[in-house]
Amino acid sequence: MKCVSCGGEIGLTDKICPHCGRTITETAGHQRDLKKYKDKNEAAKRETTKAIKGNLPIVISAVVMVVLLIAIGIAFYVEENAYSFRSDAKRKESVKKYDEYSAEIEKYLKAGDYTGFVAFKEYHNIAEWEAPYDDLKLLWEMAKYYNGLVSKVEEAVMFGPEARRYRPEEDVDNCQGAIYRFYHEYEYKQSDIEADPYSIYIHDMKEKADIILKVYLGMDDEAREAYLASSEIEQEAYLEEVLINE
Amino acid sequence: MNKKTVFVISLAVNIILAFVLMFAVSGAIDELQFNFVEEDTIGPDSLRMYLDMENYGVAATLSHPIRGGAEIEEEYMDYYMLGEYADLLFLKEIFAEAGNTDMLTDCEKRLEEIRSAMPDYGSLFDKIDISAKNALPE
Repeated sequence: MKCVSCGGEIGLTDKICPHCGRTITETAGHQRDLKKYKDKNEAAKRETTKAIKGNLPIVISAVVMVVLLIAIGIAFYVEENAYSFRSDAKRKESVKKYDEYSAEIEKYLKAGDYTGFVAFKEYHNIAEWEAPYDDLKLLWEMAKYYNGLVSKVEEAVMFGPEARRYRPEEDVDNCQGAIYRFYHEYEYKQSDIEADPYSIYIHDMKEKADIILKVYLGMDDEAREAYLASSEIEQEAYLEEVLINE
Repeated sequence: MNKKTVFVISLAVNIILAFVLMFAVSGAIDELQFNFVEEDTIGPDSLRMYLDMENYGVAATLSHPIRGGAEIEEEYMDYYMLGEYADLLFLKEIFAEAGNTDMLTDCEKRLEEIRSAMPDYGSLFDKIDISAKNALPE
C-alpha cells in the first residue's frame, strides 16, 4: 500500500507513514478488523485450553490404560517365552565362558566321569551342534546313550531293604532298551568314532559299560557277547532273571 | 455419559489392569528365574518320593544335576546329597573294577564328606549302603 501524501510504501498495520510522518487514516477499518480477529483468536484459544484442561484427566487415564495394556502384553509374552529366553541366555553364556567350561569338561572326561559330563553339559545348556563346541557332537551323543545305560541299570538294581517296586518289568524293559541303544550306536558309529578327536573317551565309555554289565548284571565278556547277539525276548528273559529273579 | 463418569470408569479399568500387570510381571519374573533343577529334572519332590520308597537307584539318577554343578536350593540340598551318595556308591564299583584309583579315591572321599555333613540321616545311609551291596549279583 502506498501513502497518499508521499507515495512511500506503508504497511497495513502502520498508524503513521514512516516516510513523511502523516497520520494514516486509510487503514483504520483494517485495523479494527484485525483487532476483532485477534480477540476472536484469543477467545478460541481460551476455549481450546479450557476444553483440553477439562479432558486432561480422561486423556491421561487413556494414555495410562494404553501403557498398561502394552506392559501386560509384554509381561505375558515374556512369561510364555521365558524358557527359550533362559535357554538362549545360558547358551550364550556357555559360548562366552568357553575356556572355563572346556577346562571343566576336560576334567570330567579325564576322570572318566561321563555321567557328570552329561549333567554339566545339560546344566550349562552347551550347544554341541554349533561352534565353538561342535567338536563335542559325537562324544555328547555317545555320552547320552552311556548316561542312559548307567541310569537305567542304576534304577533297576539299587533298592532298599523295604523298597516298594511298582513295576519291575518296566525296569527290565528300560534296561534292555538302554543297553541295546548304547551298544548298537557304538557299533553303528564305529568309523565316525575312530575319526573323532574324543574317540579315546568313547572307547572308555564302552569299557565302563562292559564293567557295568559285568558288575551289576553278572555278564563277563563271553556272556555279554552272547547277550548282545541274542534276540530282544532272550535279552529281556536274561534281565528278568537277574533283576527280578524270574 | 458425562466426563466425570468416563473418567471414573477409565480409572477403575486402570486399577484392574494394574493388578493384572502386577500378576503378569511376577509370573514372568518367576518363569525367568525358574530353577533348572526343578525344571529339567522331575524335581525335588520326586527325589524325596523315591527316597521314601527306597528306590535309591532312581534317586541317584535324579540327583545327577548336582554332579554337573547345578545350583541346588538349600531346602532341597539334603535330598540331592542323599541321591548323590547313592549315585557315588554305584559308580564306585565301576571305578574300582576299571582300576581308576583317582576317581575311586575321590568317590570315597566325597561319600565320607556327605555322611559326615548329614549326621541325622545315619539310618538312611545304612539302607543305601545295603542297597548298593545288594545291587551286586551274588
